[in-house]
Parts: sequence; structure tokens; C-alpha cells
Amino acid sequence: MRFRPRNVRSRLTLWYVLVLASLLALYAGVASSFLFLSLREDFDQNLLQDLETVEGMLAKEPNGLVSLRASHPDAAEPRIGHFIEVWSTEGSLLYRSAALQDQALGGSPGRDEGVHDPIPATVRLPNGTRVRLASSVYHVEDRRVVVRAAYSEERLWQELGEFGEVLLLGFPIALVLAGFGGYALARKALAPIDSMATQAKTISAERLSDRLSIENPEDELGKLGAVFNDTLARLQAAFDQLRRFTADASHELRTPLTAIRSVGEVALQDQRSPEEYRDVIGSMLEEVDRLTRLSESLLALSRADAGHVQLQREDISLLSVAREASSLVEVLAEEKRQRIDIEGDACLLVSADRLILRQAIVNLLDNAIKYSPAESRILVRLQSGEEKQVLLDVIDQGPGIPSEHQPYVFDRFYRVDKARTREWGGTGLGLSITRWAIEAHAGGITVKSEEGQGSTFRISLPLAKYSSTSQSKGGSQ
Amino acid sequence: MRVLVVEDEAKVARALREGLEREKYEVVVAPNGEEGFFLVNAEEFDLVILDLMLPGRDGLQVLSTLRKRGLQTPVLILTARDAIEDRVTGLDKGADDYLVKPFAFPELLARVRALLRRGRTEQSQPLRLADLEMDVTARKARRHGQVVDLTAREFDLLEYLLRHKEQVVSREMLARNVWKETSRATPLDNVMDVHINRLRRKVDDPYDRKLIHTVRGVGFVLRAEE
Repeated sequence: MRFRPRNVRSRLTLWYVLVLASLLALYAGVASSFLFLSLREDFDQNLLQDLETVEGMLAKEPNGLVSLRASHPDAAEPRIGHFIEVWSTEGSLLYRSAALQDQALGGSPGRDEGVHDPIPATVRLPNGTRVRLASSVYHVEDRRVVVRAAYSEERLWQELGEFGEVLLLGFPIALVLAGFGGYALARKALAPIDSMATQAKTISAERLSDRLSIENPEDELGKLGAVFNDTLARLQAAFDQLRRFTADASHELRTPLTAIRSVGEVALQDQRSPEEYRDVIGSMLEEVDRLTRLSESLLALSRADAGHVQLQREDISLLSVAREASSLVEVLAEEKRQRIDIEGDACLLVSADRLILRQAIVNLLDNAIKYSPAESRILVRLQSGEEKQVLLDVIDQGPGIPSEHQPYVFDRFYRVDKARTREWGGTGLGLSITRWAIEAHAGGITVKSEEGQGSTFRISLPLAKYSSTSQSKGGSQ
Repeated sequence: MRVLVVEDEAKVARALREGLEREKYEVVVAPNGEEGFFLVNAEEFDLVILDLMLPGRDGLQVLSTLRKRGLQTPVLILTARDAIEDRVTGLDKGADDYLVKPFAFPELLARVRALLRRGRTEQSQPLRLADLEMDVTARKARRHGQVVDLTAREFDLLEYLLRHKEQVVSREMLARNVWKETSRATPLDNVMDVHINRLRRKVDDPYDRKLIHTVRGVGFVLRAEE
């Protein structure tokens, strides 16, 4: 398994050190190569000079060999590690430095050796010593000889080694310092994260109102903190909504349950006639019906929340859907001698699930009928809006909705007049279902109302297309 | 007519037994899937009412095993899970109809009647009750020989009630079959009340003998006797 430090701080430090180490290694490599090359350049220069010096010192011995005649005594064997060999072109050794201790600087010379300008090269002696070697052809009186001059590279490597030692000594110190520095730096940079984590730990479902403190909203950590706070805010809103919804739902469920229970208990207290029992049971069943309806509405909404509802979309005329919706509830309006007028262009088509959309409009109309006084007029007006939207207004002449209630009318179980609507058998979910239905169709719903001036609910839906062949399907007005 | 009820909830099972026996069905109750499975193999039934959520053996399992063995008995599924997928699986596995809990009893009776009738040549009953007659093709209703003037919706409503005469019809049944509205979340109760009232005014008010009766908390019934 790979080694992986647990916290970011150590990981960052490790990376610092690794990067620095590889940079230093690269530096050392390049520097050593340069040093080596320039040292060898000097070396070679000296070697070539020596080769020329040797030429001047060559002297022929009577026995056919060659000797080096020194112009002054200490120049005969110029330096330690300075080797000379002289060969005849026929391949016989004429001279060898004593320092070579009979080791050959290579065998008898080839035909071309030393003919061109001498170029130093590295060769290895039989005893393992690496030497720099250059050779040239000279004439001793009338005889052609090949002169080889060589330097041991020992000194070169020694100098390089010393340089390396200095580097090796310095590197670990630099790395340790970098490690400490990096660790301190990472610690300082990450300190705000630690404090954020500590703060975040204290935030629980019960204390969602807490927020992280942000020192600098412009830097990266500040932005992270802001995003986190934003998430917290949304979470808090969702939690609050859920809490309110649960409380409301249990209240709504308790109301019919209380009714069932008390009606039953009271009925059992003394003997009654079958007709009276019948009435009691009927009354209990009515409450059961309400509970059923409530649980079904809740189920519909929770399915909608979970995204389980699949819309059976088709291109339909919004006006015809409005007419259908109106035909469902128009008898209620008739009872109150109200008039439902529907006007607009039947050619405006929306892509929608007919039943769901109709239910949304039915809910709006049902509300309008309930809240409007007798003999008033309810207007359903359809028009095309900006940006390819279709607008459907349901305008009533009811008492209007006080502005403080307006933002909440689409909330689940929200009631403007709590006693009255329950008496009418509403579940308090109608407008929530309507809003869900419209939003599921990528539309929106708003309410505009002034007290005493009636209310206007406006649905906006994306226009699917404009069909010149109008579909005037649906009920009458 | 023998009906097997496979239902684990004792109260519901008892209510089903009593309600069905009142309608002159012979009822056998199995409290779990194993017993239901055994009974259906051992004895002969005209109809099985099967709860899907059973201890021991899942209702759907019972159903599919039955169908694999070639038993043709009609099966009515009861399910508390109001999910389309469940219904589809139920019908795929060979159920003939389903009912979602909580159901209205009149609805259950209507389904049971429909399933037992299925496959037999249906004798066309004249749409008549006491002195009320309906001619569906001409869309005319007569009471005591007098033509009653009805709107389209009122006619549909009266026709549905008459087709189910002497049976209690629930609001759900009316919403689905007369208004074609599947969602119970749609506020139709007030609408129904208005239509029933209007129908009463036209059909019953001029005569001594009342035909349309409200069964409080349950629904409506068209019945000749008081």
C-alpha cells in the first residue's frame, strides 16, 4: 500500500520537501556536469600543451630507442599522473614513463593514430585508472614516432567528489528547513479550516440558525464558508418547513379524529333509537371520508415532492382545459347565482397533463366561487404573455386577501380564515396542489389582491405552439 | 356464490364477512397467505378477495402461484400501497381488479358484482325503478309517464344510480364514473350535493314516493321502498 499521510498539512509539507529535493537534485546534477566539463577542458588544454612540450624533449638514443631530454631536470617527469609513451610507426615501444609502471597506454599504434590534430579521449589502464589520452605523430630526426601523453583523471574526480560532498552536506539541512517552513506555512494557511470545522461541529439539527464566521469573504476559504452558510440557510428553511408541515398535518388529522371519537363516545353514553345510531355512524363516516381525502391529498403531494408523478403530456388548448374545469364546478356558481366568464384565444396550446392541469384550475375556480359573494362575476381570462408564456387569470370579486397573508396562500395547510374554510370542507391543500401542478409544468403562479377589491390568481405556462385550427373541446360556460 | 377473503387484519376481515354475508354471499376468511393458498387449492370458490400485504406469504406470491396452477377464479386485490407500480404488478400476475385501502364498502360490492358477472351473458336489465324509466338511446327520463327535463350531467348521474339501483353508490364511484375524475383531491363533494339536490327537485319533489336517498357518510342510493 502507498504511504499516505492523514492530514493535509503533512501531505502539503511532504510535497514541499519532495519538490524541493527534486529541484536540488536537478541543480546538483547540472552544476556537477558543468564543473566536470570545465575541469576536463582545462585538463585537456594542459594535456595538449604537454604533448607539444614532449616533442621538444624527444631525443634519439644510440640503441634505437628514444628518451626525453629535459631542458631542466625536474621537467623530465613533469607531474605525478603524467604519463608519456613513444612508439615507432612500425609498432615497437621506444619510451615509456616510469610512472606507468609498465602498463601500456594501449597497444601498438594503428595506422591513423596521431595523424590528425590530437583530440583527448578517456581510456582505462589495465590497473583500472582512468586517464585522458592524446596522441600525435612527430619526427625524431628522420624517424616517425607516435607520442602518447596521458593524465590520470583521479584529480578531476577528486575535485568533483569534494563538490559533491559540499552539496550532500547542504541538502539535508535545506530540506529539513524547508520541511519545517512548509509545515508552519501549511498550518497557518489551514488554520481557518480547523476553526470552521470546530464551528460546524456545533451546528446540529436543533441549532441550524448558527452560521460560520467568515473573516475575509473574498478569499477561497471565505467563499467556502459562504457556500456552507448558504447550504445551512436552505437546510434550515427546509427543516422549518418540514416541522411546520408536520405540526399542521397532525393538527389537521387530529381534528376529524377528535370528532369521530367524541361523537362515538357521546353516542354510547345512553340508549338511543336505531335512527339516532344511524345518524351517529353516518357522522363518523363523514369524518372518515375527510381523513381519507386528506391522506390522499398528502400522498399526492408527497409523491409530487419525491418526483414520482409522471405527466401524460400532450399539446392542449389551455382555454379548453379552463372550460372543462369550469363545467365541473359551474353548478356551485349557479347556486350562488354567480357567473363564470371565460374569454381568450383557444389557439394557445400548452404541453400539459390534461387531468392535472384541470385539477389546478378547478381548485382556483372552487376557491373563487367559495369566497365571492352571491351574484358576482368570476372572470377567467387567457392571454399570451412575454417570452412565449401563456397567462391565465382567475379574477374574482371576493373580499380579497390581506397583504400579510398573500405570501403564504400557497403553503400547505395555510388558511386565511381558519374557521370558515374548514367548515366548507377544504383540506387546506388545494392551492398547494395547484402550485405543484403548475410548477410541474415549468410554469408559475402568483396572486394579486387588495382587500375589498377581489383577487387575481395568475397562472403562467410556457406556450407549446399556436394552433390556428382551434380545438374548442370542453364544456359550456 | 362462495367468496374467499384472504385478509390478516381481523377487523377488516370481519367487516368484509358481515358485509358480504348481508348480500347473500357465502364467505370463508383466511387470516394469512398460507391458509388462503391452501383453501384455494382445496375448495372451490367463485371469487377471491386478496390483501396484498399479508404475513407468511405475500399476496402477490399467492396470486402468481395460483395462476401458474391454472386456477381461473377471479381475484380482487386489496392494497394499501397506492402506487401505480403495485397495481400493474398485481394485474400482470393475474388479478382481475384492484381496490385501494381505505375503500368504501359500496365500491367493493360493486366490484364483486362486476367480477362475478364477468364472462356471463349480461341480461339487459330495463332501466326502470317503480314509475321511473330511462331511455338511454333517446336520453329521455320519465317519471309516472311524465318526461323529466334533465341536463346532460343530471342524466348521467341518474343513469348511474339507476344502473346500480338498490345499491349504495359512494361518492368515489360517482366521481370516477360520472365526472370521470380520478383524483380524490379534486373538490367535487359540493358539486355532487348540488346535482343530487337538483335531481331530487326534478325527480322526487313532485311525487310522494321518494326514490333518491342519501346514506349519510356513505353515499346515495336509488330505492323504491321508504
